Amino acid sequence: MSGNVLVVDDEPVVLKSCDRILTPEGFTVKGASSVKEAMGLLQNGDFDIVITDLKMPEMGGIDLIRWIKEQNPATGIVVITGYPSQETIKDALHLGIIDYLPKPFSPALLIDVASKAVSFVKSKGVEEIKTEEHDVSEKANEIKNVIDTNRNRPGGLIPVLQQIQEILGYLPPAVLRLIARGLNIPVSEVHGVVSFYSFFTMKPKGKHNIRVCLGTACYVKRSSEILAKLKDLLGIEEQEITEDKKFSLETVRCLGACGLAPVVVVDHDIHGAVDPVKVSEMIREYD
Amino acid sequence: MDKIRSNIMLCGGTGCIASGSLKARDALVEELKKHDLADEITVTLTGCNGFCAQGPIMIVYPEDIFYEKITSDNIPLLVEEHFVKGRPVEKFMYKEPEKKSAVPIMNEIPFFKHQVLRALRNKGLIDPEKIEEYIARDGYMAAAKALTEMTPGDIVEVMKDSGLRGRGGAGFPTGLKWEFCARSQGNLKYILCNGDEGDPGAFMDRSVMEADPHVVLEGMIIAAKAIGASRGYIYVRAEYPLAVERLQKAIDQANEYGLLGENILGTGFNLDIELYLGAGAFVCGEETALMRSIEGKRGMPIPRPPFPAQKGLWEKPTVLNNVETYANIPQIILNGADWFKSLGTEKSTGTKVFALTGAVNNIGLIEVPMGIPLRTIIFDIGGGIKKGRIFKAVQLGGPSGGCIPEDHLETPVTYEDIMNTGAIVGSGGMVVMDDSNCMVNVARFFLDFTTDESCGKCSPCRIGTKVMKDKLVDITEGRGKEEDIELLEDLAHDIISTSLCGLGQTAPNPVLTTIKYFRQEYEEHIRQGWCKAGVCTKLSTFYIDEEACKGCTLCARSCPQQAITGEKKKPHHINQELCIKCRTCYEKCKFGAVKVGPVNMFEKKDKEVKV
Repeated sequence: MSGNVLVVDDEPVVLKSCDRILTPEGFTVKGASSVKEAMGLLQNGDFDIVITDLKMPEMGGIDLIRWIKEQNPATGIVVITGYPSQETIKDALHLGIIDYLPKPFSPALLIDVASKAVSFVKSKGVEEIKTEEHDVSEKANEIKNVIDTNRNRPGGLIPVLQQIQEILGYLPPAVLRLIARGLNIPVSEVHGVVSFYSFFTMKPKGKHNIRVCLGTACYVKRSSEILAKLKDLLGIEEQEITEDKKFSLETVRCLGACGLAPVVVVDHDIHGAVDPVKVSEMIREYD
Repeated sequence: MDKIRSNIMLCGGTGCIASGSLKARDALVEELKKHDLADEITVTLTGCNGFCAQGPIMIVYPEDIFYEKITSDNIPLLVEEHFVKGRPVEKFMYKEPEKKSAVPIMNEIPFFKHQVLRALRNKGLIDPEKIEEYIARDGYMAAAKALTEMTPGDIVEVMKDSGLRGRGGAGFPTGLKWEFCARSQGNLKYILCNGDEGDPGAFMDRSVMEADPHVVLEGMIIAAKAIGASRGYIYVRAEYPLAVERLQKAIDQANEYGLLGENILGTGFNLDIELYLGAGAFVCGEETALMRSIEGKRGMPIPRPPFPAQKGLWEKPTVLNNVETYANIPQIILNGADWFKSLGTEKSTGTKVFALTGAVNNIGLIEVPMGIPLRTIIFDIGGGIKKGRIFKAVQLGGPSGGCIPEDHLETPVTYEDIMNTGAIVGSGGMVVMDDSNCMVNVARFFLDFTTDESCGKCSPCRIGTKVMKDKLVDITEGRGKEEDIELLEDLAHDIISTSLCGLGQTAPNPVLTTIKYFRQEYEEHIRQGWCKAGVCTKLSTFYIDEEACKGCTLCARSCPQQAITGEKKKPHHINQELCIKCRTCYEKCKFGAVKVGPVNMFEKKDKEVKV
């Protein structure tokens, strides 16, 4: 495993042991004995993850986490703590840390946590983490409301997912965990339902969502050519989003508007009898 | 109150709204005001008229004048001519293809002439958002009769006697289903409505829910009384926002009027109905899967027995009927079983709604007596195939159905007769295909659908359909082998006999019927590398028949690759190296001069030239 790790702890022994354990595993490790020192290093260097203690003299770990989230939210954060149940760790979790290390930790655990955190950060684009957290924190109250009102409704999971997807446009993993906790069902079950129904998506949608109908009547009238043309024009595949986030592309099984075949729906506008040749004109209206 | 001299019914179905009927309505109201006619002419936004491809549609009563493709731009002229000067405007009337004369009266248009409206009796006649208009058309009379004059046993008897069979696809007798559930013990029973219309190419239920939402509620009230249910759910696709909105309004109004809720019509009968939005899984059209979905789980079917009539939603006795089935019920209760049986055949009684789409001239929603031959539907109501094309097949029953060829067009539309062809009546999707459709590709399309929608519970369906699809992809892309056809047939029979639910049991039907009736096309693909319809691009070459080409230059002008060259009035030529097989020239040519040859036709020719 390769990756740049910054360890922040006021106890030199912790810094030393982290270096000793992680370096042979392929990580590039740097240490900082105070938050201030850490900030300096972070400003000048590129780190995948920061492993930090919470309780330190002068500025504490929470301040550092807040600062990192503002400066460079893509950096993964792992917290070292002797008291995982305390309020501080709750604050840290709320700020979006990846994991925590209970003190004292074994070398195996440190390697495991660090590797997972690095691969997590590397698998997620900077943007994605940013938008996901931004989207969720902005609408946190609305989401909470939906969960609360459906808490005791039998079979409430699907309506909750529908309403939250309506609010956010998609269902990021963090929200699935939130829903699972709120409705008191396993996350696996929530994920199972989300992945089963084609209506739910875990990927964000563009400003304009284009849905191409692939029902039989549309198929007979060559909606597949329209789809190919759109993919070509936008440079994306199905279920993807353009780089400028303007458009996302989906296919649907049948919109029941077969009289208008072939049909393309952009946001809430239904376009009937679409001519593959004129697709670019249609898209330009939304540009 | 002023005298109303005309009622204008403007279609507000999904199709017409998409083509601009809301704007037309606003323009119309504005224009009538301008001419000071707002007091004597009413404008109503109705549910789906059915003739969707001609939308937006406007009908003027009492004369029954039918106008098509009315947009806001046409309104000033129309109001001026028709309502001010009293001269109906021929320009906006329906014209039969290849005939010039306009047909002004709605019921004289061939599309409407052969239809008998029962389930759709209110379509285009009422404002679906006003319960008063439904009541004015004898609405809730049947529910009142069922609740006040009939015992549950009476209702079940009438239903059994009527011979009504489930309109969702399987065709199970409705009365029998109710009887099973009525006999089940339990103080809490559920009545469900299946509005999860999943078949691609079908929109019957959407239209009913949009045009006449109260008829669904009334049917459910009667069914609830028959089986003793006190709670109900309507399961609707989330992809049908307008249907959802109108059903919710209908439920609210019915609650307000005391037609739902507690002590309905003072009879002591209680029924609560709630909407439940589906989340896009085809398998949820299967009853046990739908119930799992309402429970908030993955919609996967479970083995029967126990049947839902004994243990259904949350393990309580449950009856699930389709939207169209419910739409038939009030009229049966009011007019009796004999009236219902007066149309249709002995085993398939009454009428059936179909969504007629594809390569026909008249596209839309139709209701016909059962037993009517397919040919009448396609050639009289549908107005035949578009000019210059030849009928090839009609696809019935969506991904569970099959393709029926020309020489079976006399088949009467009954559950048994259609089954004998290898297709099924299904929920009512009827997609007509012409000679520009490749049947192997159609089979591949449906298998694409079923592999995607298989819930994954049974391996024969999950893996078997995938293997079948891969074989079809091979055939359509030129890697087909002679033995593939037999393999497909073998696999199909295995999947049918070993799958748990209707999805797997019927998924191979599109393949089996296309092999049965269009085996030659499969063989052409495999042996000659030739897709004669030019759909499978890896198996076709587009070329211009020099004798047929008039040199009109249309193809050359529309070719996106500039691959076509030729002088005016002289035969054109396609440069095969530039051609991307987009079919544009093939579709544009008015003289049928663009032909499709086998993929390697020019390779051979080149060799000849070299010799």
